[in-house]
Amino acid sequence: MDRTYLDRLRLEGLDVDQALDRLMGNEALLGRLLQKWKEDQSFQALSEALDEGSCEKAFSLSHTLKGMTGNLSMTALYELFSRQTELLRGGDVAAARDMMDRIRPLYERMKAAI
Amino acid sequence: MDSIQTETSMTTTRMPGKILIVDDDELNRMILANIFSDDYEILEASNGEEGVRLLLSDIPDIAAVLLDVMMPVMDGIQFLEKVRSKGWNGGIPIFLITAESDTQVLSRAYALGVMDTIAKPVVPYMVRRRVDSVIELFMARKRLRARVEEQQHQLDEQARRILELNHSMIEVLSTAVEFRSAESGSHVKRIHDITKCLLLNTELGVGMSYETIEIIATASIMHDIGKIAIPDAILNKPGRLTAEEFEVMKTHTLRGAEFLEKIPQMREHPGFVYAYDIARHHHERYDGRGYPDGLRGDEIPIWSQAVALADCYDALVNDRVYKKAYSFDEAKDMIISGKCGAFGPTALAAFKVAEPAMRKLYAVKEIQSDGQDIS
Repeated sequence: MDRTYLDRLRLEGLDVDQALDRLMGNEALLGRLLQKWKEDQSFQALSEALDEGSCEKAFSLSHTLKGMTGNLSMTALYELFSRQTELLRGGDVAAARDMMDRIRPLYERMKAAI
Repeated sequence: MDSIQTETSMTTTRMPGKILIVDDDELNRMILANIFSDDYEILEASNGEEGVRLLLSDIPDIAAVLLDVMMPVMDGIQFLEKVRSKGWNGGIPIFLITAESDTQVLSRAYALGVMDTIAKPVVPYMVRRRVDSVIELFMARKRLRARVEEQQHQLDEQARRILELNHSMIEVLSTAVEFRSAESGSHVKRIHDITKCLLLNTELGVGMSYETIEIIATASIMHDIGKIAIPDAILNKPGRLTAEEFEVMKTHTLRGAEFLEKIPQMREHPGFVYAYDIARHHHERYDGRGYPDGLRGDEIPIWSQAVALADCYDALVNDRVYKKAYSFDEAKDMIISGKCGAFGPTALAAFKVAEPAMRKLYAVKEIQSDGQDIS
């Protein structure tokens, strides 16, 4: 993998070393997983679920995104989705929706970097 | 396949080489697969339902299951409940791989039998180490169990052979005794079969286990063992015995009981009580006019009554030194009307029930033992 590409990911908050550790140094696998993440529609679906006020659906999607960002060591996004998941587990849809303003720019920048 | 059998077969212990990953998140599956794919074949399911299907169709080959909790269609907890209902008994280790922190969910999963939980995002070396050591433990356990089963099987086989040998030795001994009075070798077999038939199919055997009935039937073979002490001149006298001779003849009951009592191994045998009672009391009569003890009515043990009936019936329908054979119908009438022996109402009722089956025993015996009969 290209050094500058990896540095760009680092800059957007992806802990590259930790992610590669998790993949046992398999850079090709990291490339494939990042592509999968980029194509994944969960984030759009989460926005819609929160706008509709559908707590259960939003919880499930936020949980999925927490898992994905965790696996890919997108540290900042992982922290945010973790908090959102707990809010939704408690049924606080409004607070979870408010969090989207902080999550969205980070999410978009990460996507662009990939 | 419909149930989860984790037991190994009797002779082969195949070691499983597949890991089943049940997770709706493709990224998770890819990461976990990457950790294990060099040493295991990976099966992937994206929800619990698919996971159950894969598990059930490949049980002997699956070494471990890595299970997510939150999944659509069927979640991890439902997966555990489902495989439990299909008979999963913990024979395949299941690991919960989860970001779940809800302790209620975790304790429910443990209660349903998961081996361990591993936190997501996973640390590969730790996951690999923990899963590997549990798989190794399970395989060792499986090998040990197969070994124990194999040994148990050998022990059972040995026990069965010893029992068979015992039975045939009893038969040989009894046949030798019967042979002196020019009886056929099949007489002892018939007494065994008739006694068993009476106890299995009628009121006489109520409350007895199959094993007990089998033991009594074997004991019945030795009913005339005391005849070994009776001189040939009396035993084989063609005509009527004198009063003195008959007194000697009657002692075969006591001699038989004594004989059995003198063999220490016999005294400790679960069949001893029956063999003793049968040898001693198979000439008692329900009206109290039998010998040697003049027991009356239900003082006579049930097994002695059954063998007395069997012996009487068999004597009637076969030739003896002192008489010709009667037909089955004649024999039946003679026993029921009290012309031969004196039996209680329970024994007679049982006899009426079992007599048709007893008759069939002869048909089979005659065909089977044709040409081997020594009489």
